[in-house]
Amino acid sequence: ALESFKQNTKRRRDLVKLIYASDLTPEQIAAGAELGDGGDAKGAHGDGDEDDFFRPKGAVKTSLAEEVLDQTKEDVAVDALAKWEDEALLDSIRHLFITGSGGGDED
Amino acid sequence: MPSQASSSLLRYTGHEHFRNRIVLSILSGKPVRIDKIRSDDKDPGLRDYEASLLRLIEKVTNGTIIEISYTGTSILLKPGIISGGSITHDCPLSRSVGYFLEPLLSIAPFSKKPFNLTLRGITTDDKDLSVDLIRTVSLPHLQLFGVSDGLELKIKRRGSAPLGGGEVQFLCPIIKQAKTINFVSAGKIKRIRGIAHAVRVSPQFSNRMIEAARSVLNRYIPDIYLYSDVYRGDDSGKSPGFALSLLAESTTSAIHCSESVSSPGISPEDIALQAARSLLNEVSRGGCVDRKHQNLVLIMMVLGSEDVGRCRMGELSPRSIQLLRDIRDFFGTSFKIAPSDPATPDSSELLLSCYGTGYINANRTLA
Repeated sequence: ALESFKQNTKRRRDLVKLIYASDLTPEQIAAGAELGDGGDAKGAHGDGDEDDFFRPKGAVKTSLAEEVLDQTKEDVAVDALAKWEDEALLDSIRHLFITGSGGGDED
Repeated sequence: MPSQASSSLLRYTGHEHFRNRIVLSILSGKPVRIDKIRSDDKDPGLRDYEASLLRLIEKVTNGTIIEISYTGTSILLKPGIISGGSITHDCPLSRSVGYFLEPLLSIAPFSKKPFNLTLRGITTDDKDLSVDLIRTVSLPHLQLFGVSDGLELKIKRRGSAPLGGGEVQFLCPIIKQAKTINFVSAGKIKRIRGIAHAVRVSPQFSNRMIEAARSVLNRYIPDIYLYSDVYRGDDSGKSPGFALSLLAESTTSAIHCSESVSSPGISPEDIALQAARSLLNEVSRGGCVDRKHQNLVLIMMVLGSEDVGRCRMGELSPRSIQLLRDIRDFFGTSFKIAPSDPATPDSSELLLSCYGTGYINANRTLA
């Protein structure tokens, strides 16, 4: 029950506040961070104006391979797609299709 | 994060979100300065594709001043007017044509003269939208905003990585103002379409991809048409490659898409399964616009007439979140974001609304 409650509060995050009035990085917000859990994690990718001085040199990304590219397609994790081999999951989105039951009243 | 130094100059640091910031600067007319572009990298400064994009921006506008620092780690862009017209640009082989075309989609409708842009290079890769997806998915998204008559992307030649050799022609009409959208009903998926292409490899690869994709998708709806697109000879570019692009269209014309591109050692069947499962993944996110097109729709919504535009979307991508912040910097517009179905806590769909800035294509009246 607690688990599901947590889920719900996560969904109820105030996105407007998170986006316009917090210092969390877009990645943290998209991953489901809340106001307040970002404290020490922020600035990992350098926002320039904060704790530049104290950042250990190792934290600065130098390798080309790690660079976050400005790309539209998101990298697909092949493992994440493996879940779609599951029959139950395949059936679970049937309601989104016109042939699915429960709400053929749309047309 | 930006800090407004002078009256209207906007400052950013880092190379991330480069394209969106350039686009917003051109559209809003506000100069932008980007510092510390890979300043800590062992190979600092702009990449060749970023420099090439800036050159392309220079070509499609008139009076734009771009200053690049000696080391290439900072740029200053003072936007001019969007002039459009007939332009040809050779894209570097480090990124596909999609990288260059995507930002222009939201710029082109507000040009002085209609766009007739020819781009050469790689037409399909795994980083940016392929020309197939731009033609079948991005352009319909643009049509929502009233950009329709004469909007076209012609794929004249295909070109796979690494050598490219493809060519596309982008035609875009000009509009006076973007329509305000009210797209809140996602509908149900009524058809699935797809384009399989294979260049400089056995043409049988297309059919193998189509068959494998059908094995996943056939269970849902009968209306599936996967097209095998054949390009031969010089039209098939300089390198071998194949890819499958899929799109699912709903009863309310919401479109979701996915794509998978060949990489060494992976069979056409695996590529197709990847594309099909990505499509299911995308569909299950919900919303009225495709996740890869959130950015385009958000920018066009802000430019809409002075009325409240509304759109239902699935979870926002990190790029969209940063874009929302950047939009506020450039246009002063904040979006209202609320769960779309407060009654069902399971739903992660969001309702985004904003008050359009009433952006008028001022370039057009100069003609």
